[in-house]
Amino acid sequence: MAVLLLVWVWLAAAVFVVACVARAWRYARAPVHLRWDLYPVAHEPAARRAYGGSYLEEREWWTRPRERSLAGEVSTMLSEALLLHGVWVNNRRLFWGSLPFHWGLYLLVATSAGLLVVALGGWVDWLLPVLAVSGGIGGAFVTAGALWLLRARSTDRGLRRYTTMADRLNLLTFAALGATSAAVALTADGMPSAAAAVTALLRFTAPVVGPLLAAQMLLAGLILFYLPFTRMVHFFAKYFLYHDVRWDDRPMVAGSAMERGVKESLAYGVGWSAEHIGRGSWVDVATAPPPTIPGKKP
Amino acid sequence: MIPETPAFRSQDDVLRFLDDHQGLDVDALLPLPYPYHDWRDAPIGSLTADQQARYERGPDGVSALRIPKPASEDERTEAVARFLDGLRKLLTRENNWTFLQPLMLSLENCVQCHSCSDACPIFTSTGEAEVYRPSFRPEVLRRIIDRHLKPAGGLFPRLRGQDVALDWDTLARLAELAYRCTLCRRCAQVCPMGVDNALLTREIRKLFSQELGIHMPELHESGTLKQLATGSSTGLNPAGLQDIIEFAEEDIREKTGLSIRIPFDVEGAEYLVMHNAGEFLSWPENLQAFVIILSVAGVSWTMSTELLGYDSVNYGLFYDDVQYARIALKHHQVARKLGVKKMLVGECGHAHKALMPIADRLIPRDLYVPAESALVLLEDLVVNERLMLDPSRNDFPVTLHDPCNVTRSMGIVQPQREVLKRIAPRFREMEPHGVHNFCCGGGSGFAVNSSLNFPDWRTRVSGRIKFRQILEAFGDAPGPDVRKYVCAPCSNCKGQIRDLLRYYDAWDRSGLLYGGLVELVVNAMVDVQEGFLEWELH
Ligand code: SF4
Ligand code: SF4
Repeated sequence: MAVLLLVWVWLAAAVFVVACVARAWRYARAPVHLRWDLYPVAHEPAARRAYGGSYLEEREWWTRPRERSLAGEVSTMLSEALLLHGVWVNNRRLFWGSLPFHWGLYLLVATSAGLLVVALGGWVDWLLPVLAVSGGIGGAFVTAGALWLLRARSTDRGLRRYTTMADRLNLLTFAALGATSAAVALTADGMPSAAAAVTALLRFTAPVVGPLLAAQMLLAGLILFYLPFTRMVHFFAKYFLYHDVRWDDRPMVAGSAMERGVKESLAYGVGWSAEHIGRGSWVDVATAPPPTIPGKKP
Repeated sequence: MIPETPAFRSQDDVLRFLDDHQGLDVDALLPLPYPYHDWRDAPIGSLTADQQARYERGPDGVSALRIPKPASEDERTEAVARFLDGLRKLLTRENNWTFLQPLMLSLENCVQCHSCSDACPIFTSTGEAEVYRPSFRPEVLRRIIDRHLKPAGGLFPRLRGQDVALDWDTLARLAELAYRCTLCRRCAQVCPMGVDNALLTREIRKLFSQELGIHMPELHESGTLKQLATGSSTGLNPAGLQDIIEFAEEDIREKTGLSIRIPFDVEGAEYLVMHNAGEFLSWPENLQAFVIILSVAGVSWTMSTELLGYDSVNYGLFYDDVQYARIALKHHQVARKLGVKKMLVGECGHAHKALMPIADRLIPRDLYVPAESALVLLEDLVVNERLMLDPSRNDFPVTLHDPCNVTRSMGIVQPQREVLKRIAPRFREMEPHGVHNFCCGGGSGFAVNSSLNFPDWRTRVSGRIKFRQILEAFGDAPGPDVRKYVCAPCSNCKGQIRDLLRYYDAWDRSGLLYGGLVELVVNAMVDVQEGFLEWELH
């Protein structure tokens, strides 16, 4: 059993990392796309950002230096990630489940990071009690949040229709993970044995754990296995959605890498089959009139 | 509003709702304030038996596309196979480099939280009809992809909620549903993930157009194809343009006392002015107002008589990347040939987006001519007093409609307000406004569709919230005794607002008139005889 746990956790962690990197890589390697910016754009200077304005409000915008506010992007991202600002404004009902759920997960991740520090030999005396608190609160929050979301998804007419069996199982798994994490944190020797388990895992030796911690580790591994294949990867996908699409207002500059990328894409063959498309590369079809369609007059 | 039945739980049930129900209940539409508190909507007309036999309908009983019914079972089966082929192409970089990254991101990361639902004017106006929920169409697409394109897609379909049957009926309804969204992007703006359901809807439209040849005829046959063949989606050719120009010069002389020759094909001018040619025919006063302002302010400008050079319309933006690219390229070629310094985009929202941000990443720099918004130039001319203005000539209530493409998709918000503040003493905002505005309900090509029962839907459903906003903006003077002006600096928005005012009988009931921004500017110009605005609903 202990050996199985060792394999399970390492395999899960490996699958999680590889699958997340692969997915992020797929997003990052996609070709430069046409602009699809959406305002307000967070890196506009504060005065403009306040009403959603852009540099296109300037005459001859292409000749002017562009001001970008990194602080605007960072503060918007942080208020989204930490306070779920968008959900607060637009979906108050889910907010009350979503906020504890996310905060709980952050606390559990922080607790796991703390256990790694302990396992590597740091600050055991005072850190373990802190981790017991963060793990306990985090676990409780995750469970409460997941159950709240499950309830909302089962009772709200609109949400119910879009909630699959897999979604329900996922929330239940998180609720169970939160409960076992909290239980481990709150039992007297919970955190020391969790730290010992992490140390064992780091040394590739089989961890000796009680049934509660074993259940917790099994559940954590299970979630790590499937999470990267679901829509819950928004924890990093959101970066691309905001940064590479919504806020991507970079104009194309002559001779830039962007222009080279666009020219490469324009050389791709167009494989669409509708009659008006024609054949050849994007350059070929864009520079040719649509093929005449017999019987159809424009 | 759409009846809930015990069996009506899945996406599939919703898509098939027509089998059990007929049409939308107009009594459930968003109520309107005084003087429309007692307004009774006429029902949205059903298609006639003959039309029903010939055309597919959406799950709401409306037809925007006039998709012919397949003649045989083979045709139906073949369409499904072609759809799946198209779906595969949509997910490849070769065929869809233009939007592959945003498509993947929005497809794969919606958590179905429904934060976007209340932002949608169509969903909320109908009392939350499920088929109009912003995340509904994309979820149907997602479930089809999961089931039919993903490896192991057929495993555990019930567990994964793959309940959408893939057959011709589903496809026809999905195609129709892609035209029940104005692509206004209000839903995207509030999505905490950054998912864009408008983009996904446009991708569905693209797939149907680029692979199956299914599109809104007004956008394709009478839109981009006609424009590429004749020079303009209105069918206006260079000879017809000549007549329009002569008429405009004469009209300007009569109305204003100014004698102006409209400059054409002037090489090396500072601006090539790009108008939506629909203005020339439906709102010639808009063209005239531009001519007056640019001439009086001493701007160096020209128009073009080249094919496509006199029509900034690019309906490809709404449904087809290839058609979009063809037209955008022509626009740039015309400007390049004339050797102008830049293009000036007139009062047309989608032309702004088509010529500015979207063309930006498509046209290589050796063919590219940058473009500036007319709203920005107007602000400069008005704020820097290059025009002599008497705002008391505009002493009537004015409100501003923000075209989605100009504000939410481009961030051009303040210039039009700076102008209005200086020329319209009784200007007031609609709520919400600016980048948070509501679409007029005619966006993404809806305004030019007047076939079958779609106009009924467009005036009662997609334009409902905008009409309510207009009434609320003038809540201090709701009756017909005070004439009021809805300023809409966009041709398509004007077309939709015109149809709204007609349907709601708004001139007689509430004294509402609409028009562009330049007309208001000219109405306040002291160089021009008083009375440029004619206060006639047309
Ligand atoms: S699009 Fe965004 S707001 Fe709408 S349901 Fe999906 S995740 Fe939620
Ligand atoms: S783009 Fe606009 S009309 Fe379409 S779903 Fe979103 S909010 Fe509704």
